[in-house]
Amino acid sequence: MAAVLHGWRAARVTPLGELHTPPRMTAVLLRLTVQVVLVASLWRGLYANTGTTAGLGRDQAVTYAVLAVLASRLRELDQSAGRDMVLQHMHFGTIVYWYLRPLPPQRYYALRALGEQLYGLVWALGGYVVCLAAGVVEPPESAAVAGVFVVSMLLGQWVLYYVMLVLDQLCFFTIRNNSAMLILIFAQNLLSGVYAPLWFFPDWFITLSGFLPFQATLSVPLSIYVGRIELSDAGVQLAVQAAWVVVLALFTRWVWRRAARRVISQGG
Amino acid sequence: MSQKTMKSLRIVWRITLLNIRASMEYRTEFLLMIAIGAIWQVSVIVFATVLLARFTGMGGWDSSDVLLIPAIRMLAHGLFVLLLGRMHFIGRQIQEGKIDVYLLRPMPVHRQVQLAFFPTNAIGDLLVAAGLMVGALSRSDLDWTTGRVSYLVAAIIGGMLLEAALFTVVASACLRFPAADYWSRWLEELLGTFGSYPLNVLPRAVGGFLTYALPLAFVAYLPTAVLTGHDQDIGVPYWLAAASPLLGIAGYLAARLVWRWSLKHYTGVNG
Repeated sequence: MAAVLHGWRAARVTPLGELHTPPRMTAVLLRLTVQVVLVASLWRGLYANTGTTAGLGRDQAVTYAVLAVLASRLRELDQSAGRDMVLQHMHFGTIVYWYLRPLPPQRYYALRALGEQLYGLVWALGGYVVCLAAGVVEPPESAAVAGVFVVSMLLGQWVLYYVMLVLDQLCFFTIRNNSAMLILIFAQNLLSGVYAPLWFFPDWFITLSGFLPFQATLSVPLSIYVGRIELSDAGVQLAVQAAWVVVLALFTRWVWRRAARRVISQGG
Repeated sequence: MSQKTMKSLRIVWRITLLNIRASMEYRTEFLLMIAIGAIWQVSVIVFATVLLARFTGMGGWDSSDVLLIPAIRMLAHGLFVLLLGRMHFIGRQIQEGKIDVYLLRPMPVHRQVQLAFFPTNAIGDLLVAAGLMVGALSRSDLDWTTGRVSYLVAAIIGGMLLEAALFTVVASACLRFPAADYWSRWLEELLGTFGSYPLNVLPRAVGGFLTYALPLAFVAYLPTAVLTGHDQDIGVPYWLAAASPLLGIAGYLAARLVWRWSLKHYTGVNG
């Protein structure tokens, strides 16, 4: 029971920060609304004189782009305002407190991420319902597609959690790493298809991204949703996503152990 | 130039040199920062190239004309990052209480904010932007007369000032409401995503929003329309589009007034 209470308290850290600053929530709502309208308008405008391109029709492209915007809410909570980023903790030396609590740092990190993702899910789901009702996004073609999409999205978020964890773990090993973080975040956005569906990119780019975990976070689930990946091919993609989960879980577990040895504060 | 101005410039130059030396203390980080500037800009090029390849004749414009839009925007953005870009990081400086320190020093706060660190990533930004501009100009069929080149230079400076004006207004809001820092990230994202294409591909209302509510169109799209002779279907009267560089200057001056007013009403975390 106490463990559940600890878990609940850790999970609500970042969402509470957001819930206590109504201006930020208003900003999120406004930003999300404007972003959805702009993205939908852009892709509709681009398709005005074009039929299907890169295997995506107009409605598929709009749906993909809008869902990508909504999905970005899942892990976009601001930890910096509460000075709870790993980067900030390393900068101010407060990371040592993560190791003094009765909750192991890796569990705190996982619970906090879970809370953030659940909170983000409420926003994303709310946005999805509104967009669906307004006809901005298309519903999935069948219940089977919807089911596979949910499983793929879950795996995608799991992979994303580990990718973000690797980025944060990097902070333990480098004194100054703002730029490395920015490069990796950029790679994550580009190679997961946040900026534009990967299907629009050249073949070599799609092949390259196939060897990296980023496309498993967003491109795969969204492509399943819009029908760009057929249900018959979805099994392989789900297996690849699951494989990334296992590989990254083992890797980050190993890095957590190495990271703990490097924690020094106030001169060691 | 008065003696006071010369002295100020000398101090700015010396602090900048110190900042460059400080940032070079961590060599790998220094090089990575240049890389991130370049990579960030390359992402805009990749996105633009992908769209241009898939959707030819975007908004009724030739590809070579469209390419001028990101070229102007990116060069303006690179100059903004180099000269006035620290406004973007005001939230952190407020959070760490640095503004309170700045207020005690005998130098304008705005200048101290700009001199807080050297923007190494601007080197990468400018390198890629200059490369894209050379590419866009070499592909262009336009007759590059002195007048057109002068307008191009004015458009780049105007774009830089307009971007600086937008971020200065957000920074001014941060002085009162630190959570407003959230908007600067969104603004950068909007500029990157929608500042590099003909806005006439968007519905009129959306284009109007990006012209009059958030004057993003005046950064690169409208000056490019003037340069390339697209005077129809641009959403504003032609004279207004032509006045884009002047709007940049006016916008920046107005933003500095807002900054000054906000600074007068600034209260630190200790009240």
